[in-house]
Amino acid sequence: MKTEKTLSPELQKKCQRYRISSSEYHKISDLLGHEPQGIEWALFSALWSEHCSYKSSKIHLRKFAYKNLSVLESEGENAGVVDLGFGEKIAFKMESHNHPSFIEPFQGAATGVGGILRDIFTMGARPIALADYLCFGDIEAPRMKSLVQGVVSGISSYGNCVGVPTVTGQTVFHSSYNNNILVNAMAVGLITEDMKMARSKASGVGNWVVYVGARTGKDGVHGASMASESFDSNNEAKKPNVQIGDPFFEKLLIESCLEILDQDLVVAMQDMGAAGLTSSSFEMASKGQVGITLHLDQVPMRDSTMTPEEILLSESQERMLLICKPENFDKIQKVFAKWDLEAQKVGEVKSERTVDIFWKNEKLVSIDPDLLVENAPRYDREFQKWNSPNKTNLKASTLSDLSKNHPLDFITKAPQSMNFCSREWIYKQYDQRVGARTCKDAKSSVAFLQLPSNRGLSITLGCRPSVMRMDAFIGGQDSVFFPALQMAVKGAQAVAVTDCLNFGNPEKINIMSEFVASVEGIAEAAKAIDAPVISGNVSFYNETQNQNITSTPATGVVGLRKDLENIPADQFTTQGQVVYWLRAPWVIGLHSELLTENKQMNIEAKPHFEGRLDSEVVAAWIRDLSLFVNENDIAVSKVVGDGGLFESLRRMSLGDFGFHGHQKFFETVNFEKIYSETFYEVILAVDISKQFDFQKSIEEFCQRHQSQVYEIGWAQEGKFEIPGLMEVKTEELIERHQKGWGVL
Amino acid sequence: MKIGITRFPGTNCDYDVEKMVQHFSHTPVWLWHQDKFDIQSVDAVIIPGGFSYGDYLRCGALASRSPVMSSVREFAEKGKPVLGICNGFQILCESGLLPGALTRNEGLKFIDDWSSLEVDNPNSFFGSRLQKGQTLNLPIAHGEGRYWIPAEGLKKLHDHQQIWLKYKKNPNGSMNDIAGVMNEKKNVVGLMPHPERALALWMGGQDGMEFL
Repeated sequence: MKTEKTLSPELQKKCQRYRISSSEYHKISDLLGHEPQGIEWALFSALWSEHCSYKSSKIHLRKFAYKNLSVLESEGENAGVVDLGFGEKIAFKMESHNHPSFIEPFQGAATGVGGILRDIFTMGARPIALADYLCFGDIEAPRMKSLVQGVVSGISSYGNCVGVPTVTGQTVFHSSYNNNILVNAMAVGLITEDMKMARSKASGVGNWVVYVGARTGKDGVHGASMASESFDSNNEAKKPNVQIGDPFFEKLLIESCLEILDQDLVVAMQDMGAAGLTSSSFEMASKGQVGITLHLDQVPMRDSTMTPEEILLSESQERMLLICKPENFDKIQKVFAKWDLEAQKVGEVKSERTVDIFWKNEKLVSIDPDLLVENAPRYDREFQKWNSPNKTNLKASTLSDLSKNHPLDFITKAPQSMNFCSREWIYKQYDQRVGARTCKDAKSSVAFLQLPSNRGLSITLGCRPSVMRMDAFIGGQDSVFFPALQMAVKGAQAVAVTDCLNFGNPEKINIMSEFVASVEGIAEAAKAIDAPVISGNVSFYNETQNQNITSTPATGVVGLRKDLENIPADQFTTQGQVVYWLRAPWVIGLHSELLTENKQMNIEAKPHFEGRLDSEVVAAWIRDLSLFVNENDIAVSKVVGDGGLFESLRRMSLGDFGFHGHQKFFETVNFEKIYSETFYEVILAVDISKQFDFQKSIEEFCQRHQSQVYEIGWAQEGKFEIPGLMEVKTEELIERHQKGWGVL
Repeated sequence: MKIGITRFPGTNCDYDVEKMVQHFSHTPVWLWHQDKFDIQSVDAVIIPGGFSYGDYLRCGALASRSPVMSSVREFAEKGKPVLGICNGFQILCESGLLPGALTRNEGLKFIDDWSSLEVDNPNSFFGSRLQKGQTLNLPIAHGEGRYWIPAEGLKKLHDHQQIWLKYKKNPNGSMNDIAGVMNEKKNVVGLMPHPERALALWMGGQDGMEFL
């Protein structure tokens, strides 16, 4: 490596302002053949930011290479697309909007939803579902209540107005997010046989570059590079970097963009997301191996005092860039005019591979797009090979402590923790049914939507931060397996995965090690279960004043079910349903937030975690279980998660029917088994008339898959009861379950 | 039967209502907000829900002044059937075709839920098979569904049996638990719940089947 000259103080200051490191400065100078000048600073600052270039993660994201025949598009496009057969294709992706949401929760979350929707309809898909993965800090932490309220109302206001139902989500509370909340939004779009898929590759010399949608303003300038650095105490000053969204404009943009695609008027299409016009134009040119001219003075502006740099970097919302044949421009303009939107020619495609940017006929810059896109730095940040720390992790000090807590206490106190109470306060604010496709809404453990072919499309989010805190590799595997298993017990099969990898500072070795381990965990699990990772997003620098968040690789899993009939319920539905506990104890974990963080419970048990997951074995188990559920008329099902068996039985008793446990079983069972969680275990219930057949086939299943099954009780109307141990009315359980949000 | 479906910028239940119309083997006819239409060309009109004109100014206020609504007014004055769902109900109130107003929910939050309703007066074109006192379960999804009307207006509603549907458990603070009303001639009706989202068991209920 050649020695680099130290930069003059003046240059250092400039580099700092544009968030360019000194080594990057030298690389830029080498590539350009001269020192960066004028607008070049802004271009490199934006496109070489972590947010746009994935410079710290790219070499590891290649581990998601596994694809199968159903994958039509993946990394490199705005969203991944999978073919579901029957002429139905699904486009989906998940993206973070953490930094803006912490600074300004309402607009941050709203524009997060808007941004991910644009990634979907840019592909020519009609958005049909939204899902949100939210991580908040301790509810008593400063600003936290208003952050929760702001984020939820931001999502509600945007999603509801734009007319896309929010059908599922996950919300986690933990102190590691006190100064850096996570707001990840996933959108799913449908492409039917009569619709046309779009792509973002510019082509056709002489074709026009067309700007459509909302006008450009000064909002969000430098947003991408803001999102690529850590927070300090001066966050308030970053407010002008946060974009402002208008869901009404977005709705018009969806309709008009789908209409021009339908009329076959578009060569390529790309939304203006992070780094706005800069990233969309350079990426379209780079992907298409062509050049383009761009006349910034032609860009529709909200504010006539904007400088070229501001126009290039503005992250104003609800804007798209199109490439079209010149003869189609009038027709495009007509469609947009119908929807009261502007379409403006701002440039042309040319053969010489440079992007030429003009301002009032003066050429500001002419630069090879590959220098900014393909030649962006790739860092192989230092990390350690993953050595499962769970072996060295603290042993449970005294599991006997647990039995001091009476199960009745457990059941009644659980929902006092924000992590275990009802999510109704959140999802009631979301329109879950617009589109008239929703079969199972956000109340359910797995969302189901009706596809035109009458099959069920299932959607669930994954990643349990409590598992990540124990082991990043298993946490990664679990981010795929847990949601896939949730689908399996409803008779659906996972088809593909998107991810949103939220991590702290990648320049720190322990963070990078966790990143690499969880990417490898996700990749291994996704391949084993044949649900390829088709799209995703990385959000680094989720740290504030040297405090990193829990590494949180959130996932969105999409699956299929043959129909929408008789999907097993989440709660007991009939008197006498026989309840079974199926266990495959590969990993034993006592990581429950409920136990370790709930001050009401007075438990000092230390987190405890051992074992490993063999991806192939787990995947085979999950796949077979999905078939088993469909073949055996399962009436009620649930995957046992955080909190263990009792917590799951409590949740299954939040309807008209509660759980009646077999006294003998609960007298003899080890309480460790009840409160701790094994990977994996599920509860299945069948109507009494099906019991005989069920028992026969579940025993066969257990023999095939080294699992155990126990008959533990039945469903009874009105109460949760284990004779000799406890009794509580389901009414009371329901009431307590709703109470948690009283703190807001 | 040909059923006209209005489309405003921001309407988002248009395709859902189209599916409902097709479900009953009727022919949907799109009515664009900027165009007036020949009132002979359709047999009934449905104004679907959504956020017409982004709910700017007031929900339904801008839509009520659009060209298509002047035709709808003419259509209604001829005694022909008009149904407004959710934002469509708001538009009908704003345009004076239905009495009263829809204001911000009590609690100031958007509410998505299933609601239990009771039929007060079933005598309208839409939902003519319903019985007085019948219970229905339909989804609601609105931020501004709290029905309000001055005292004398409320008396008139009662006197002329213009209350169509009532909530059994009031979700939004609506006056007298009102979920849907009709005009004096009973040809124009509006409701906040969404019948088009309850047409099959897989949707969670099929009471919406009673509305066409």
